[in-house]
Formats: sequence, structure tokens, C-alpha cells
Amino acid sequence: MATLTARTKTAVTLTGVRPWWRLTRGQRGLLLRSLAVTVYAVVTAFPFYWMVITIFKANGDLYNPSNNPLWFNQPPTLSNIQYLLEQTRFGTWMLNSLIIGTAVVAITLLVTVPAGYALARLRLPFAHPLGIAIFATYLVPPSLLFIPLTRVVHSLGLQNTIWSLVVVLPTISIPFTVWLLMGFFKNVPFEIEEAALVDGCNRTQAVFRVVLPISRAGLAAAGMFAFAISLQAFLYPLVFTSSTAVKPVTLGVVTDLIRGDVFYWGSLMAGALFSGVPVAALFTLFLDDFVEGVTGGSIK
Amino acid sequence: MATAAIAQRAAGRRFVSRHAGYLLVLPAVIYVLALVGFPLVLGIWYSLTDVTVAREGHFIGLKNFLDATRDPTFRLAVRNTLIIGIVSTFAKITLSVALAFLMLGAFPGRRVVRALFVLPWTVPIALSTIGWKWMFHSQYSVINWLLLKVGLIDQGIQWLGTPVAAMAAVILVSTWRAVPFGAITVLAGLTAVPSDVVDAARIDGANWWARFQRVIVPIIAPILFIAVLFDLIFTLTELTVVYLLTGGGPVDQTQVMANYALQVGIAGSQLGAGAAIALFLLPAQLLLTVLALRAIARREGL
Repeated sequence: MATLTARTKTAVTLTGVRPWWRLTRGQRGLLLRSLAVTVYAVVTAFPFYWMVITIFKANGDLYNPSNNPLWFNQPPTLSNIQYLLEQTRFGTWMLNSLIIGTAVVAITLLVTVPAGYALARLRLPFAHPLGIAIFATYLVPPSLLFIPLTRVVHSLGLQNTIWSLVVVLPTISIPFTVWLLMGFFKNVPFEIEEAALVDGCNRTQAVFRVVLPISRAGLAAAGMFAFAISLQAFLYPLVFTSSTAVKPVTLGVVTDLIRGDVFYWGSLMAGALFSGVPVAALFTLFLDDFVEGVTGGSIK
Repeated sequence: MATAAIAQRAAGRRFVSRHAGYLLVLPAVIYVLALVGFPLVLGIWYSLTDVTVAREGHFIGLKNFLDATRDPTFRLAVRNTLIIGIVSTFAKITLSVALAFLMLGAFPGRRVVRALFVLPWTVPIALSTIGWKWMFHSQYSVINWLLLKVGLIDQGIQWLGTPVAAMAAVILVSTWRAVPFGAITVLAGLTAVPSDVVDAARIDGANWWARFQRVIVPIIAPILFIAVLFDLIFTLTELTVVYLLTGGGPVDQTQVMANYALQVGIAGSQLGAGAAIALFLLPAQLLLTVLALRAIARREGL
């Protein structure tokens, strides 16, 4: 890695003065790499650029095939955003998502913190297989469960309410979070907890005063995942909520801005970005923890 | 005497804390059993009955599964599910490894670049799919506009209106979405490759391909394997992209199993038949799950 960085630096200073055919192998490699990064960045980012520019375009500009679609041919407008905010229930959907997300986080943490702690630290017989069994349910995709779950949701009387999602979505977040927290709790040194016990704490006090504060990064990551996962969900909201007023934002935007054959593209893009980007930002913050959890890297 | 009493008390405490330990795990176990385990069993039962939304079902054996195999739409759905699964998996592996190497090492603005690169994966798939749907629009497709400008095509492609193009579109969106996750995972594996091993190989005269093949691949293979299995499990049961992008169209040419299960089971109220379609790949799913868990268990042993 060190050699790579060193070489990168020399190449950067030299690329400018030599024509490409006289570059050294390392410099050509760097050039190729920069080119590839640029191409990939464009492919990745273009859909988002396209969404952003669509938001601010007037309809007359959007729906004219002879216009250059990549830039404004008429002055930018806020009318698409205005339509989203005034003519749809966007605010309600955002609020629904916020309530659902917060409740899912609360349920997830309440259930997984004790479980993760016990499985990681109490030296229970069969703790490891039990942990793996709980994690394994993460690999049962929603599309295998949604049909029977409609009956479960119905018998709980929760159909077409946001509470159906509050009850069902933790099934996605709990298995993963137990696994994640097991990893975090395992990394808290036993000596610290023992020191607290020696100092006169009982086990519960030791957990609340020592173990949990030390693991707060893990708890934050777990909470954020539960939130992000509940906002990413699409199938369960689609199946369990049908009235406009109870939809979470992911579902509301993509269903209510399409009326028959009419797509409100500008407002659609606005709704998608306004709700999608915050989720993405949250997720990105805790990306490394997530990857470690998925690949078993956090449990050693 | 005193030590015996202490030992006894300690044993007693251990006994209590052991049982208290299981009590702490209980809520998670109950939640998962009630809302994953029970529905899974109920779903399997449904698939063996003729239950609909309106009436309780009777046991009909494997009739739902046999009916499905004779249903031309279901056959299309199986074919498309497998094509999407296989093609996108290969594309994802290749691009993920390539992207991981691009992101390897320190460079200015690495965190920002990484946050941008993972956007396709972190933005909810339903929302980005709607963005793609607009890019594939029959009249105002910006992709067609670009291709026409560059001169690669001389008339617009009906991306979502022709079978092959629509499949390509579904695979493209699904791949675009998953590559960042694959890349990040591979990157996690790559940082575990000790640089002195690579340097040693270089000194021994191994060119980059030999180094890649003999040194790097064996080290990242286990983690890549896990990522691929995870991805396959979810890709084979995915429906969001198809549901929003093509709706399975044109005329079921991009229909996939999960979306067809939704159409039959929910829109068509045929719970039993829908459950059978949804569970058709369950044996394969179980196999993938076992492989994934074993791979993770092996990695933990490191």
C-alpha cells in the first residue's frame, strides 16, 4: 500500500509534462485508473444528476423531445416541488415513515440489546448456534413471507395501518442487529465489567454503567440500521398499507404520483430524492459496521 | 467448609444467571418465531391447500406446484428469475472487484468519493428505480438521447417495451444497485491482504495478473463467496425493480417469481397458489442459506 501511494504521488507530478506514450508503466496505470474512476463515477452519479435536473424543469421543458435534456431550456422552476408539497400527502408520508422508523428502532433495540448481551457475554451453552439461528432468519426474504403475513396482520387487526409495519418490519432488523451487537459486546473487555462488579455494582448496574456506555457506537449503528432498513422496505408497505394517509414515504411517492397513465415525473423525482438522500446519508455513516456484520468480521 | 459454601453460592449464582441469560434472549427468539418462523410454516401449509382470501383451504397436496409448472407465465417467471440471477451475479462480481481495486489505497477525498459510490446501494431501491424508469421513458429517454447524439443508434430504443431491452434494463438497474455493496465487501477483504505477501510475490517476479490470481483471489475469495450468496438469496426473491420498472411486462416477458406470486396471491387473492409460487425456490434458498452460514462460520474461525 505504501509503495502504491508513493508511486501515485510521483506520477501525479509527472503526468502533466510527458505525453502518454512516454509514461512509465506506473503512470499509465494511474491514468487508466483515474479514467476508470471517472467513467464509473459518471455512471453512478448520472441517474441522480438526471433526477435533480428533472425536479427543477418546467413541464414544457421536460416534455419536448427536441430540447437538450441535460440542461435547462426554460428557466428553472419550483412548481414540481410545490406540487409535491401541496397536492400530495408528502408531509404525511414523511411523518409516517418517521413514526414507523422510530418505533422499529425502539422495538429492535429493546429486543436485541438484552439478547446480544446475553449471547455474547454470559457464556450460555449453545449461545453461538442460537446466535447463528437468529441471524439465519435474516436470510428469509420478505417475498417468502408476505402472503401468510397478510393473514397474521389481519388477525391482529392491523391491516392498512402504519402499525402493521411497526410490527412486521422488526423481523428484518432484529436478526441482523442481534448479530451486530453480539460482535460489539464481545469486544468489550471482560476486565472492565469485572472491575465494576468488584467496585460493588451488581450485574445490571455494571451493564448500564459500563458495558452499554462503552458500546454506544455499536448501539448507534444498530439503531441507524433498524431505521434505514425500515425505510428501504418496499414489499411489506405495498402489501400491508393501501390508503394514501397511512403509506410510508417510499411507497407513497412511487404510487400516488402515478395517476393512471399520468406520471408526475418532476414531483416524483423530488419526492424520491427528498426522502432517499437522508436515508442514504444515515446508511453511509455506519457502512463499515454493516459490512463487518454481514461478513462476520466483527465476531472474532 | 467456607470454600465449599462459596463454591456452592457461586454455582447457584451461575445457575440463576444462566437462566436469566436465556430470559434475555427470549424476546428476540419469540419475535422471530412468531413473525418469521410461524409465517414460513403457514406459507408452506398454504402452498399445499386451495386457500383464498374468501375461504379456508383444504389440503390438495402438491397440486399448486404442479399447476404452476404447467402455467406458461410461471415458466417465464422462472426463466427470467434465473437469467437475472445468473447474469447480474457475474456482472456484479466483475464490477465489484474492479471497483474495489479502484477505491483501494488512500487518495484525497476518499470518504466523499466512497459516499458517492455507495449511493446506488444506500438510496432506497424503490426510489432509484423510479429515477431509472424516467431515464428509460418511451418518448423522453435521456439514454436514447445520448445514444442518438453519439450515433450508436439511429432510432430510440423502446427500453421497457421490447422483451430483450426490458430484461437488459432490469439487469442493469439491479446490477447498478448492488455493485457498491459488493465493492465495499471486497474492499474489506482486500485490506486483509498483507501487503508484504503481495510485495514478496512482486519480488519473485510475479506480474500483476499472477499476483491477482495466486495471492489476492485466494485471500478475498471467502468474503466474496459470502457476498455472492447473500446477493443471490435476495436477487432470486427480488421484485421491487421489476414491479416498478416493467410491472413484469411487456406481456410477462420480464415477469419474475416474486412479482408473479404477488399478482396471484395478493392481487388475485389466490393465497395458496401464490404461496406455492413464492416458495417454489425454497429448497434452493435453504441450500444457499446453509452455504452462506457455513462460509461465515469458517471466516469466524480465522
